[in-house]
Amino acid sequence: MSIVANKETRVVIQGGPAGVNAARRMAEFCHLTRQPLHVLAFVFPPDAGKTAEVPFGSELVSIPIFKTMAEATAAFPALNTTLIFVGPDRAFKAAMEALADPKIKLVSMITEGVPEKDSKRLSLEAKKLGKVFNGPSAIGIISAGECRLGVIGGAFDNLILSKLHRPGSFGVITKSGGLSNEIIWICSQFADGITTAIGIGGDAYPGSDYVTYLEMFEKDPQTKAVIIVGEMGGDLEERAAEWFGAAKRRIKLIAVVSGYCQEQLPKGMKFGHAGAKEGQHGEGSARSKADALKKSGAIVPATFGGLGPTIKQVYEEIVAKGLVKPAVDGDAAALPKLPKPVEEAVKSGDVFVEPLIKSTISDDRGDEPLYYGYPASDLINKGYQIPHVMGLLWDKRLITPVEAEIVKRIIMLSADHGPCVSGALTTIIAACAGIQMAQSVAAGLIMIGPRFGGAVTDAGKWFKYAIEKKLSPEDFLEHMKKNVGPVPGIGHRVKSVKNPDKRVKELISFVKSTGIPTPHLDFALSVEKITTAKKDTLILNVDGTIAAVLVDLGWPVESLNGFFILARTIGLIGHWVDQTRNGSRLIRMFNYVVNYASPKRREAPPLEAKGTRVEVREEVLK
Amino acid sequence: MAKVLEGPGMGLLSKWGMTVPHYVVITAADQLDRLAQANPWLRESKLVVKAHEAIGSRMKLGLVKVGLDLEAARKSAAEMLGRDLNGMTISQVIISEMIQHKEEFYLAVKSVREGAELLLASVGGIEVESNWDKIKRIAIPLGTDPSRDQLTKLAKEAGFKGDLAGKVADFALKLYQCYDQEDGTYIEINPLVTREADGELVALDAVTMVDADARFRHPDWNFTFASEFGRPYTNDERAIMEIDSRIKGSVKFIEIPGGDTALLPAGGGASVYYSDAVLALGGKIANYAEYSGDPPDWAVEALTEKVCSLKGIKRIIVGGAIANFTNVKKTFAGIINGFRKAKAEGKLEGVEIWVRRGGPFEKEGLAAMKALEAEGFNIHVYDRYTPLTDIIDYAIKGVEK
Repeated sequence: MSIVANKETRVVIQGGPAGVNAARRMAEFCHLTRQPLHVLAFVFPPDAGKTAEVPFGSELVSIPIFKTMAEATAAFPALNTTLIFVGPDRAFKAAMEALADPKIKLVSMITEGVPEKDSKRLSLEAKKLGKVFNGPSAIGIISAGECRLGVIGGAFDNLILSKLHRPGSFGVITKSGGLSNEIIWICSQFADGITTAIGIGGDAYPGSDYVTYLEMFEKDPQTKAVIIVGEMGGDLEERAAEWFGAAKRRIKLIAVVSGYCQEQLPKGMKFGHAGAKEGQHGEGSARSKADALKKSGAIVPATFGGLGPTIKQVYEEIVAKGLVKPAVDGDAAALPKLPKPVEEAVKSGDVFVEPLIKSTISDDRGDEPLYYGYPASDLINKGYQIPHVMGLLWDKRLITPVEAEIVKRIIMLSADHGPCVSGALTTIIAACAGIQMAQSVAAGLIMIGPRFGGAVTDAGKWFKYAIEKKLSPEDFLEHMKKNVGPVPGIGHRVKSVKNPDKRVKELISFVKSTGIPTPHLDFALSVEKITTAKKDTLILNVDGTIAAVLVDLGWPVESLNGFFILARTIGLIGHWVDQTRNGSRLIRMFNYVVNYASPKRREAPPLEAKGTRVEVREEVLK
Repeated sequence: MAKVLEGPGMGLLSKWGMTVPHYVVITAADQLDRLAQANPWLRESKLVVKAHEAIGSRMKLGLVKVGLDLEAARKSAAEMLGRDLNGMTISQVIISEMIQHKEEFYLAVKSVREGAELLLASVGGIEVESNWDKIKRIAIPLGTDPSRDQLTKLAKEAGFKGDLAGKVADFALKLYQCYDQEDGTYIEINPLVTREADGELVALDAVTMVDADARFRHPDWNFTFASEFGRPYTNDERAIMEIDSRIKGSVKFIEIPGGDTALLPAGGGASVYYSDAVLALGGKIANYAEYSGDPPDWAVEALTEKVCSLKGIKRIIVGGAIANFTNVKKTFAGIINGFRKAKAEGKLEGVEIWVRRGGPFEKEGLAAMKALEAEGFNIHVYDRYTPLTDIIDYAIKGVEK
């Protein structure tokens, strides 16, 4: 048994992220106690129509968000309780809306900083309607084994440690949210735990006070004793004392009050809770409250530290009287566990996850990326350059300074080739159509293929084949003619022996000047000698030259097109920025540069059920 | 509740139609020259000069001067402004006209659970203190206004005769409107007087408390709230208040000079039990502090630095109950950073640190605290199995379990 919140409690939460967070905590409790999820709906106008996701056991439940309370209770007639998390400027309106709904019987407000006047009016309205208004600034309500409203009870482990999965014999009422958990913990250590614990909030005029709940606890046979944790200020403790002393009560009352320090501190000093302030004339002091409680027959330990032993003594008494049987706790290990997120489970070694991909070049898990094991900042600080990074990520090796210089030159000479080539033209057309940079540059890159810039890999592949098979240039050309077709890397649309490509000449002479062995380049040049003798334009082009040089340097064949793609990206970005800065307008082709070879204008025949398509085709062919 | 200083307090009364003395608030004495040109009353009336600060016993400290002419008022203001009182500087002075009057009355309205209570007496000033039984009162239920008849009847019961009873009733109604519409929590006019010149009721002095939480619906509240414990806030207190006003959760800090035990506990409830426990064992607290509601770690770090800067402390109590949702690991990370900074600045020489806490990520948080031992901190760390305030016993009595 319990009060206020039980297994039939169904909850709507008024609020945004803080409310969703509370719903997650509440779902943990439902999971622990093997109950269906108690939170059914949210009311939060900014997100109305969407859903909020709440992990429940190993599932993720989508909870609908409504604009109004009426919509929520119409969709879920089982709703009877609301928790309010909206800001203090909207809390009053939200609570009035909830109180006005006939389905809602309990309104608990977590919101802090609500004006006193608003609290007082809400409390009056609730009283008129015979409903319970709890809060504001209230941490929540928890009935052990039955229902959790809000984040009260803390983390999942704490729920189990504090025996909140099954009822005990003690009721708890506190103003302080943090202390509510502490008392629940003490009850589980020194006695058999709690029935229900309620945070009423530390404001000056809480909607429900100790007496509201003492009356309910008195009627709950499971609750044998109630602990109230009071503090200076206001008269709620005095009212509790008055209620307790007014008649013979079934429950025992244990109380502590804080604020003795007030006697030695500057007058008017303000403490953590809004309500914790002594009156102008000394009323509401800790001492006068403790005295009133003692007088009423409550047990009042001198300090907070005395609570544990007092609770223990009371528990032993009620056990001795046969009012409760000592709690026998089963195996805690048999309780449902909170599924761990995969990441945590991997970390603790509880699960093995077969990796989906393997990466052998870089690692981003530390404070900075590692390129094949070397921290990026370390490489930068030691003077390494972009070609070295390419070496690490493309071929997993630190290349020599000479090689880096060659790679750098390859990139520089391939960076751009004017606006007319198919890659740049495509990027320009896209830029002029108002397409963003990434898409426009990607469109240009798509053009890279067998006819434009994409012959480096193939050229490298075949030069390498020739060297491996120890073919003579003649045998190589014969092999290519028979089995492959035109030799990749040989031939140019405009350049020729008489009109040589200066980029190629420069690259070859630099590579030669370094003195590195160049068997592939030498082979390619001897092939060129034969092809140019046949036709002037069959020169070793820039793709072929780059390919031969890179294979000589030992780069893997798979990476070779990357040099052109990387280099030309520089140019394509330039073209996109250029067109965008110019504010260029949409490009449309001119019809005079199109050869319109389609049929002349004619009338479409009537649509017939059969044969139409064939007839038309035949007619076209005529 | 929040206290409004005299100037803005009078402004609120005036806004709701109550007559108050003419007044000006100045920050430099020479401002009076221009003001006197614009306001004839400054030249024509006898004047009162008061320090416009939240300082108790202003009369005793010579911070109230009465019956002055403009020149004398200027002199008094110049003497008060910039005066240093234990590290707090007087930065504002209020100058108001003296109202010639014979009788003094008392009128107040205060917030109670059921609505409000209106108090009225036909004696006022310091007289009222010794004539508490002469105060007549009526309860005003929530959501209702008192009627003029009701208030006139109250005035008659309180001893007001003839026309005056009706006048007092009208004034009381205005005060109630002001209280109700301005989210007042306590407004006390003492004394309320009848001006000799025209018989008009004037609120000569008032204590004005409003609900700080209602600020969001009062865009015209252009004043800051005053401290309520007889001295202005210190710079460190203001710095923490400023942080508190813009974070999720809260951080609070008030200095109490002369203490040996600094408090850095979590939670508005637990913090008071820690204060009680220190004082119960004969310790003296050097401050009040509290953080709660899962505040960001940098805010807790800032609070920690202020706590570590307190003069003459022997120990710091990092106490706390078992948190509901405050992340112990993160908030402790803020405290640890604060401790490290303070230590680097040589502030924690000979200071013991006592820790007790529970809540989400308590193991990680407590382990991180414990690890400070290796860095040379004199730190003692306890978990949930040690009762809340036992660390105070250990720290002050010097006995550990």
